[in-house]
Amino acid sequence: MAYEEVKVRKPLGLILLPFFSVVCFFGAWELIVRAGIVPATMLAAPSDVGALFVDKLTNPNPDGATIFVHAWVSMQEAFLGYLLALGIGIPLGLFMGWFGVVRGIARPIFELIRPIPPIAWIPLTVFWFGIGLWGKVFIIWLGGVVPCVINAFVGVRMTNPTLIQMARTYGASDWQIFKTLCVPSALPMVFGALQIALASCWTNLVAAELLAADQGLGYLITMGRRLALPDMVVLGMVSVGVMGALIGLAIDEVEKRLLAGIRR
Amino acid sequence: MPPAAPVKIDVRNLTKRFGDLLVLDDISFQVGRGEFLAIVGPTGCGKTTFLNCLSKLIPTSAGDIFIDGRVADPRVHNISFVFQEPTCLPWRTVRENVAYGMELKRFPTDKIRERVDYMLGLVGLAETQHLYPNQVSASMVQRITVARAFAVDPDLLLMDEPYGQLDVKLRYYLEDELVKLWQTLKATVIFVTHNIEEAVYVAERILVLSNKPTRIKAEVRVDLPRPRSLIDPAFVQIRKQVTELIRWW
Repeated sequence: MAYEEVKVRKPLGLILLPFFSVVCFFGAWELIVRAGIVPATMLAAPSDVGALFVDKLTNPNPDGATIFVHAWVSMQEAFLGYLLALGIGIPLGLFMGWFGVVRGIARPIFELIRPIPPIAWIPLTVFWFGIGLWGKVFIIWLGGVVPCVINAFVGVRMTNPTLIQMARTYGASDWQIFKTLCVPSALPMVFGALQIALASCWTNLVAAELLAADQGLGYLITMGRRLALPDMVVLGMVSVGVMGALIGLAIDEVEKRLLAGIRR
Repeated sequence: MPPAAPVKIDVRNLTKRFGDLLVLDDISFQVGRGEFLAIVGPTGCGKTTFLNCLSKLIPTSAGDIFIDGRVADPRVHNISFVFQEPTCLPWRTVRENVAYGMELKRFPTDKIRERVDYMLGLVGLAETQHLYPNQVSASMVQRITVARAFAVDPDLLLMDEPYGQLDVKLRYYLEDELVKLWQTLKATVIFVTHNIEEAVYVAERILVLSNKPTRIKAEVRVDLPRPRSLIDPAFVQIRKQVTELIRWW
């Protein structure tokens, strides 16, 4: 059975509208700065930011690295923290969902740590890891692990109880029920966690770099502030935004492919 | 009235209380090897509790169920339960769903393959075996669970209104199929329903339950040749007899 795809034709105006809005936004921004309504010491014009971006492609000064190095460092930190968050948070959440012993041990600690914002850990992290890679990975991991645990936990708790009863009448062990029923049932929720955790990781990355770093996009923002260069601040912010959006899109694609194989 | 065949299932003094509420009151009966027993009763008479006790999903307050003289235990005995709501696993194909019970019971792989092929043939699901449950019709979904239940060669097969959610025509068709399966595989079946006609159609013996606290009010033997006809005067007579026994109005 093949369904013919229904094509909906959007009016031309609606297709162009987003472009129009973006052009207006940047145009107005440029005008405000150029006309001196906002002084150039407080906000950089988009054209200045663009020029700085081109310059930073090759010039490591004055902050010590090119934009690529900053972006690469941030990517590394974010992905290490993210993958560790998935690798630890998802199994932990799944086990907490089904095994009372794990829930009993882990839940109170988890609930105590959960409300502490990851940035509150920064001072301790600096004591423990210095300002190198692993300190930031730790902060990012803290941000990402919470949604992973919660989603995996809830996913397991939502397993259809009749299915569990059915398996019990066949004499299934707890481990068999966990493996063959709870984990597959939780998968859609677990995939939801991929996006939420990524957003959380990326946010905390910038926070971590603002306070303790010598490279990275967050560091670029900090340096811009210290050197009183608003164009550098804005460049850092825009880079964070664009990269976050791109990574989000990539994860979305991965998620779609994985889910296509699982959710029928 | 003891069962005709040697005793397979022996329910002795089965009692279930929830706090002060007495739901099952000292129920005792026996089921013969390979017998098809139907249980009917008024709405809310504790049928579900009764089945949950029989399948050992919940503990009894007193009394117990014995299979071949031993206390029933899902780890030791092959107990299958066909629930009213479909219990197919949506992430498994039809074939994998039929194999699921045997996998839980750790049947050897060859035996699972052989047995699944056999069951799929019997219930006419061979052609759809690689589809997923949401790609087949509602009646097929229930046939998958019935096939899965028979596949483990159950000592006791419990059915809780398995066809309650299907339309009348499909019901007759599936009931015929069920009887055929039972005759071929010689399982011991306890079939719970509130549909009296269905009970008379499929069963060899019918237990009629009372209102709460539930007891066995009567027992009716259905000694009709198969295939049975719904308009056979003997059939109608038994159906009326059971209806009279059950009526609470």
